Amino acid sequence: MSAHAPAGLARTEMVCPKTIAEACAVLAQAHRDKRAASLLAGGTDVIVDRHLMPIEKARPLDLVVDLTGVDELTAISERDVAGERHLVFGGGVTYWQLRTDRRVLAAIPMLDAMAKDVGAVQIQTRGTLAGNIATASPAADGVPALMALDGVVKLVSEGGARTVPLDQFFLAYRKTVLAAGELIAEIDVRVPLPGARVTWRKVGTRLAQAISKVALAGVIEEERGTITRARFGVASVAAVTHPLGGVRALAEGKTFKALDRATVDAAIDLEIKPIDDVRSTGAYRLHVAKALVWRALAP
Amino acid sequence: MTSRVDRTVGKNVSRVDGHAKVTGQAVYVDDLTTPGALFGGTVRSAVARGTLRGIRKDPSFDWTGITVVTAADIPGDNVVALIEDDQPLLAKDAIRHVYEPVALVACDDPVRLQQAIAAITLDVEPLPPVLSIEDAEAKKQIIYGKDNVQKRYVIEHELGGKTIDELILACDVVVTGRYAVHHQEQMYIEPQGMVAHWQEAGEGAEAGVGDGVHVTGSLQCPFYVHKAMKRAFALEGDRVHIGQAVTGGGFGGKEEYPSILAAHAALLSKVAGKPVRMIYGRKEDIEATTKRHPARIEITTGCTKAGELVALKVECAMDGGAYVTLTPVVLSRGILHAAGAYKWKHARIHGWAVATNTPPNGAFRGFGAPQTIWAIERHMDRIAEKLGKDPLTLRQQNLLAIGAVTVTGQTLTQSVGVVECIEKAVKSSDYFAKRAAYAKPSPAAGSRTRTRRGIGAAVFMHGAGFTGSGERRLKGKVQVDLEPGGRLRVRSASTDIGQGTETIFRQIAADAAELPFDTIEIETPNTSNVPDSGPTVASRTVMVVGSIVGKGAKMIADRVRASGTGDFATLADALLAREKKVSTLVEYEPPVAVQWNDDTYRGDAYPCYAWACDIAEVEVDLDTFETKVIGFWAAQDIGKAIHPIMCAGQVEGGTLQAIGWALYENLVMKDGHILNARMTNYVIPTSKDAPPFTTFLVEHPFSGGPSGAKGVGELPMDGGAPAIAAAVEQAIGALCNDLPLLPEDLFRAKSKSQVARS
Amino acid sequence: MIRFKVNGTVRETDAPPMARLLDVLRVPLGLTGTKEGCGEGECGACSVMLDGVPVNSCLVAVGQCEGREVVTVEGLAHGAELTPLQRAFIEDGGAQCGICTPGMLVAAEALLRRNTSPTDDDVRDAIAGNLCRCTGYQRIVDSIQAAAAAVRAKTSKASKASKAGGETGA
Repeated sequence: MSAHAPAGLARTEMVCPKTIAEACAVLAQAHRDKRAASLLAGGTDVIVDRHLMPIEKARPLDLVVDLTGVDELTAISERDVAGERHLVFGGGVTYWQLRTDRRVLAAIPMLDAMAKDVGAVQIQTRGTLAGNIATASPAADGVPALMALDGVVKLVSEGGARTVPLDQFFLAYRKTVLAAGELIAEIDVRVPLPGARVTWRKVGTRLAQAISKVALAGVIEEERGTITRARFGVASVAAVTHPLGGVRALAEGKTFKALDRATVDAAIDLEIKPIDDVRSTGAYRLHVAKALVWRALAP
Repeated sequence: MTSRVDRTVGKNVSRVDGHAKVTGQAVYVDDLTTPGALFGGTVRSAVARGTLRGIRKDPSFDWTGITVVTAADIPGDNVVALIEDDQPLLAKDAIRHVYEPVALVACDDPVRLQQAIAAITLDVEPLPPVLSIEDAEAKKQIIYGKDNVQKRYVIEHELGGKTIDELILACDVVVTGRYAVHHQEQMYIEPQGMVAHWQEAGEGAEAGVGDGVHVTGSLQCPFYVHKAMKRAFALEGDRVHIGQAVTGGGFGGKEEYPSILAAHAALLSKVAGKPVRMIYGRKEDIEATTKRHPARIEITTGCTKAGELVALKVECAMDGGAYVTLTPVVLSRGILHAAGAYKWKHARIHGWAVATNTPPNGAFRGFGAPQTIWAIERHMDRIAEKLGKDPLTLRQQNLLAIGAVTVTGQTLTQSVGVVECIEKAVKSSDYFAKRAAYAKPSPAAGSRTRTRRGIGAAVFMHGAGFTGSGERRLKGKVQVDLEPGGRLRVRSASTDIGQGTETIFRQIAADAAELPFDTIEIETPNTSNVPDSGPTVASRTVMVVGSIVGKGAKMIADRVRASGTGDFATLADALLAREKKVSTLVEYEPPVAVQWNDDTYRGDAYPCYAWACDIAEVEVDLDTFETKVIGFWAAQDIGKAIHPIMCAGQVEGGTLQAIGWALYENLVMKDGHILNARMTNYVIPTSKDAPPFTTFLVEHPFSGGPSGAKGVGELPMDGGAPAIAAAVEQAIGALCNDLPLLPEDLFRAKSKSQVARS
Repeated sequence: MIRFKVNGTVRETDAPPMARLLDVLRVPLGLTGTKEGCGEGECGACSVMLDGVPVNSCLVAVGQCEGREVVTVEGLAHGAELTPLQRAFIEDGGAQCGICTPGMLVAAEALLRRNTSPTDDDVRDAIAGNLCRCTGYQRIVDSIQAAAAAVRAKTSKASKASKAGGETGA
């Protein structure tokens, strides 16, 4: 082994609850005891961070709550909300489940396309939707797709439950509304209407095992030529996954033909100011974001 | 009577290390069990240039059981013995790059080791660093010699008392271009690692373990490490034992760097009195080990209106990094390939390498040639553009051929298969039809998917074996022993780093000795058990070392067969019983005809060349500028494919490294720090990015190689990038003279060209 | 004490639950066929099967494996008999330096268990999480396709034999 190992590894206790209620109780107790606790699912972020973090920066971790044994969290179900079809994913649903669940493949092929673009098989079998949301990376792949599908997360704690729309879940770079003791139990998404124009396009550093430079999910529905719904989620162009509310406001209620590239671009300019980093440049990201949005909206 | 057996050369025998590799039994350095071993780690400078004033150990830290060593603990010379003595094993006063090793730490617990490393602070007075070729040439800071130049070479060909500028200006058509290439990380999947065990005289209790220092690790060149260790520890050669563990890829990255890591581990072991394992994590491996040299190459050429090349001027600057390492040799190979695969009446090629305060650059497959071949191949396309000719047609018109003379004055006498390479690649790819079709301006189909295709070609050659008189000086050796049962044991220092040396040497030896394949054993290289065959580099293993493997095997087999009549095994056992040891040491002798003058840089630069034509077809998204390579045709003349599947594997693997260099890989540096020293951010191609390869092995035999074989190791690295660039240029209509061609670069180039046009 | 099955045998470890499965396999259990190339789920050299699906063992905490089943490269062959994939990697150029080979074989095995007639794109998708720097992937894809063909041939032979009422081998 290389001479790298996380500090305090031996100190960290792990509990493996079987139900959501049990997990919440453990979290609440840890909070009361002032123990540093973390949820653990696929480990694609938590374990990498703990292993590669320079030793002087490593934070103590007293307790890990492993969620991979909670069966409730891996369920996929269907519900009807005001006459519209919704799918409900347990927080522990993996990308691999999205790629192999017949109902998902039939109802929302965009989620299959997105899941295929996440890492590669070994990441897809481990990575979970709730993990992707809770980590709150602006480069998350799952989040933009769920956001464009009007995703709503159900947060559960010992004290009860609440729901938060995904576009209100993220507060700032890697900051969310998730409170201590809460976990993401479910994600509810609305199934796009038949005939909707549904977009998934990830522009990554390569075609697999890639972090996005820009990724866009879009759901556009129309009725007799008029756009009735234009929902987006875009990754890696802001501190958080961005819903492009301005573009939504611009597009909804208009016909495709009434939209022009310059106006849409101007709306995007008002919303995002992508930055330069080790993976790409701000100018490129802005250019690509505009091009992808236009591909989704163009007549 | 001798038993005739089926020849194996040219056949795809099972790879001999295959079984161990597919069952997980192959033992790489990190898999070695070393009871009682300590973990070793490195304290590095963190500033690009400065003066080391002191090393401070945090007094509040518990140092019990922790070994710390510095330059003062090195018993011999504090240098990495290679070409120049400028690089210390541990910095003593001058800091010359961010990852300069200053102190080493060993401990039995990896967590405490990391804590101990963090508890050592360096007092460094920073100095203004030199971070680029241009910085070095500006000479505001002098960090090497008088002018920051580590090495300079000039090739002059048929100038006839004139200057090259005069000769160029006399031509009908003059074309000037400036080309640049960037760093490249080898990114072998197995990080570097060494296990060292220092045993004082009389301590060698373990069976077979002699007195001295024993190092086993992931490496290409055991005798490079041996040489460096003798110097660092002031030891006689027979007390230094360097062995190779199964090695998970090298590509040049494990040519010179292992000397440093071996010495570090050995020094810790000596002081701590226990075995020490030093296995790099990925981040440290990317940061500390050598990279491909960045280069800036300016070319001016003169040719006739009809497209006949006349005069060539090349000015090539390479970034050597903080220390000389192998830079002079890389530079030499670079300028020797700068004229490409073409005939020139007059040429002047001038190359120099400068020092910068960045991690030392060193060996990487191709070794300078990919840099200059990038430039000349891009330049050929620039000339073609100016003449309004198809770029491949222009190349065909000017190819070197048997009887032609290279820019060093070498007359090619044999083994030039380039015409056949071009024919095969062109036919299979349908190059000319596609080139014409993609040239037509087609309105991008619809607004939802906007992509355009392009196809491009590169033609190139790569010298096989050491440059010039290298092999004559080196005198590589191989030993072949007769063993009971009529078996032969081949002892050579040529390492199998995945390219298949063990299998191929068996094939060569078996055929030469006319013995069955499975009666040949290949000794695992250890400096105590094998003679110095020279390093495993420079596309020389099969052609040079392989030729003496065959010679030695035949000599032993002939002696056995001459000893009487009967079956081989019985004769062999009888001979062994009589003579106790039946063995031969064969030394490589380059063909007498090969003559080279190091002072004038004239003569036969290489005994022969491998030749190739690469054709790349790409599809570029006109919005996102992502390039997808949809087809790649590689036709490469390697003399003789000893093992066709392995050869094709070399061609395809090398080509994908070239594609990676062009389209994905980009080492991001700021103030001498590498910002993307992780596999997540230093992006090599995955199976989804790699194109389907169509590979043709062309065989124009070389009389000096076993069964006609030339080198194949480096050639495939040379042509991929320029072929891709030509295809991308056709697809997007913007100049691609500088690597890399990341989407961001193409976006910028396209925006610029649009501004220029409007 | 954490108990889980490795290559068919129940093993125990007193490693801390947050220790990486990779480290537990390699050091206390001595299964060094599983390799470490990056430590961050990027290279796939540490791929193993966890309850039948491929995972990066550098991303799995050993505490998460309690009562579960792990298969490493050492557990692929049936005794001395190599799998069709292992044979193909030896014969068709799938293995060069060999450091990615264990993980590559695990990923490919998982593919062939769910699909014995993959397209080249399916193969490339299945091994996209396994970086190889030697081969350019072409010979790996070819090796996996050769193994898939061998598996199909064996299956159709077996089914023909049983249809014909002939004796089937064990």
